[in-house]
Amino acid sequence: MTVIDPATTPPGTMPASESSARPVLQVRGLEKSFKQRQVLKALDWHVPTGRVVGLLGRNGAGKTTLLRCLLGLSPINGGSIELFGEPMIEPGGERMHRIGFVPQTFDLFPWMKVRAYLDFTAAFYTRWNQILVDRLLADWELDAKQKIGELSQGQRQKLAIVRAIAPDPDLLVLDEPVASLDPQARRAFMGELLTLMRAPGKTVIFSTHITADLERADADIALLRDGRIQFTRPLAELRERLKRVIFQRADGWSQPPAVAGVMKSHVQGDQAILLVEDPVIDSLHALAARENANLRIEVPTLEDLFVELA
Amino acid sequence: MNTAWQLWLQLFRRVPVLVVLGNVLRLAALYFAVQWLRGEPRLAPLTAWLFGMASWVWHIGQGFNLRSICIPESFLLPQFRRRLLEYGAIDIAIWVLLPLLFVFILKLPYTLLIASILPLVPAFGLLMGSNPRASVFIWPVFIVLGWAPRFFVELTDDALHSPLTPLLILALTALLLRFSLAPLLRIEDREADTSPLESTGLNRGSTRHAPGEPQRLGRLGKRLNALYDWTSQRAMNRALAGYSRRPDLAHRMLLVRRLLLPHDNPEAIALRIILVAVIVSFYFLAMLHRQRVEPAVIGAYTIMLSLSRFPQLNIGMALMRPNMADLYLTLAPETRAEYQKTISDALLILVPISMLTALTYTALGAVLVHAADPWHMLFVALIVSAAASLAALSLHLIGPESRTGRSIANLVILFGVMAVYWGGYWLVGATGYLIGGGVLAVVTLGFALTVWFAAQREYQQRAPRFDAPIG
Repeated sequence: MTVIDPATTPPGTMPASESSARPVLQVRGLEKSFKQRQVLKALDWHVPTGRVVGLLGRNGAGKTTLLRCLLGLSPINGGSIELFGEPMIEPGGERMHRIGFVPQTFDLFPWMKVRAYLDFTAAFYTRWNQILVDRLLADWELDAKQKIGELSQGQRQKLAIVRAIAPDPDLLVLDEPVASLDPQARRAFMGELLTLMRAPGKTVIFSTHITADLERADADIALLRDGRIQFTRPLAELRERLKRVIFQRADGWSQPPAVAGVMKSHVQGDQAILLVEDPVIDSLHALAARENANLRIEVPTLEDLFVELA
Repeated sequence: MNTAWQLWLQLFRRVPVLVVLGNVLRLAALYFAVQWLRGEPRLAPLTAWLFGMASWVWHIGQGFNLRSICIPESFLLPQFRRRLLEYGAIDIAIWVLLPLLFVFILKLPYTLLIASILPLVPAFGLLMGSNPRASVFIWPVFIVLGWAPRFFVELTDDALHSPLTPLLILALTALLLRFSLAPLLRIEDREADTSPLESTGLNRGSTRHAPGEPQRLGRLGKRLNALYDWTSQRAMNRALAGYSRRPDLAHRMLLVRRLLLPHDNPEAIALRIILVAVIVSFYFLAMLHRQRVEPAVIGAYTIMLSLSRFPQLNIGMALMRPNMADLYLTLAPETRAEYQKTISDALLILVPISMLTALTYTALGAVLVHAADPWHMLFVALIVSAAASLAALSLHLIGPESRTGRSIANLVILFGVMAVYWGGYWLVGATGYLIGGGVLAVVTLGFALTVWFAAQREYQQRAPRFDAPIG
């Protein structure tokens, strides 16, 4: 199996038309290590205002670490982070009114009741949509009188989401927010998220493994691999430009054929499967004819892309 | 103000007992202050003492409250640090400025000294509540007291008349506040959680971390934890190698013990004993220098120290429940009772470990106090620690899970052991090793074994639980 990094777009950047928007987040040369293990390596990334960005990466790629570093919840070893145009050295300042965060697991304040926890949090915010909170508690069947410690993981996740979106944040950072949710709750959450995003100037960054949700939100895809953001691109553009090219012949393949723009390739049985960026269809047909192979060109799903690239 | 109110509410929710105690002491101080103003000047010291205690207790609660609130995620709350500062300002107004106003109005003597002591007391309380290892900051005072009490009295007398004393006390207050608040306001990566059943022996005096609260360990603490983990890994490797050589019941049990009690391997036990011995020796030499100590007190204390492991077992077993399902599936017992018996048998190893610890500490105590009859101390410690450990294990195996129930059980064990050791020490001294020891052994071990077999039977009849504990 061979892997070729995408070179057409600089890593961590949006296409020119998108990147002209003022970034809500700007990361330069971010380094993060845990003891001897380096998780993020000179990571550059910028996220323009008004986008939904899905952060993809395999288990242990550093998604949670990256999101926590962005918010100042984990000290960094090098580089710089700017959030809303100000350096994020530690969480603080007026901009915290504009940020919502859903952690991967919500295991805080188990002794508090749901209502008490939300009241406690609301006291700190200038904006707090109590009507939305009450509606979501009712819709998502969260008992305000129940202790957090008595909630299931899924219910805690719902509570964390309610808490994060209640202040009507301009930037919502969600770390695998739907991992513990049932399908109904996941849909309801995505519905709320999309509604929230209709307002101008709202940005969402969320890590997830459920690619269907990213497709539903028509998100930009950022891929974290080897400690760096390999690329950030709109899903539609990925779909349009990346194609799954399959050459099939009875004799099989000792190695995949060389094709311009190939990002990843491997041989599986009598098939050579290639992920190609901006394939030239005529030359692919010519290659298939030369190699005496059948050619199939498919539009990959996001899950296919994730499996191939992550 | 709403944030201050919410933070204040947290204090009531987290430590209601301390809040009530603090307010009762404050009301008592107020009552005696009124009596004092009505012409009872001898009540002035009592009033000051009660108010000082009230302030100290209240701020221990505040420290504990802040410990559970100041987690990294809380710093995402807008202006979190500033709100804490406002909350602190209100607290200072109530506990420092208001009493100071009375001091000025009543034109009391030593105004500046009182003005400097008023913030010192809350700073002490805050430190003890927010930093469980705060006692190291308080030791030096007792060291001076222990080594040179006359010097300390003279120093205090001079300090009362020195204009620099208030400044020194204010500087000390600032230092204490820094020690207590700085770690709370620092955002650090969370250390990996340790096994709920483990106990290094150095952290038993501290309250358990709240969920989500980072472990705030110093450099030395981190190194010691790493050392314990290293011994655990070595012990586990040995157990695995032993089991692969001979997969019998004994080796299987050893594996279960290495899994459940990672820090109860020979190296870790030795390390724990050495560390505690060093601390106890220092404490003894520094604080109790040249003071005569009753051997019975030493013996009772060492047994209490060795038993301090068992309450952790109770809490740890509850926290471990979700993970125990994995062990259940791995062991694949024929019946649920068989699994329960495996667990209780595995935990039985804590009894000889606790006995060994008690005997080592007693021997150390006997050496330190130059006990006239160390064998007497050791003999009684051997019998009482065996019985007490077995009874404590039984109680915590099937005992109450609620915080109140656990506290009551701990108190019963604590006072029971003290009484039994003192009684046993007197009995053996009065009637000799054979008769006194025989009676003591029959009574205590008989009781402990009866309790143990009953507890084991009860535990085996219970269905294993794998649900996560609530709250």
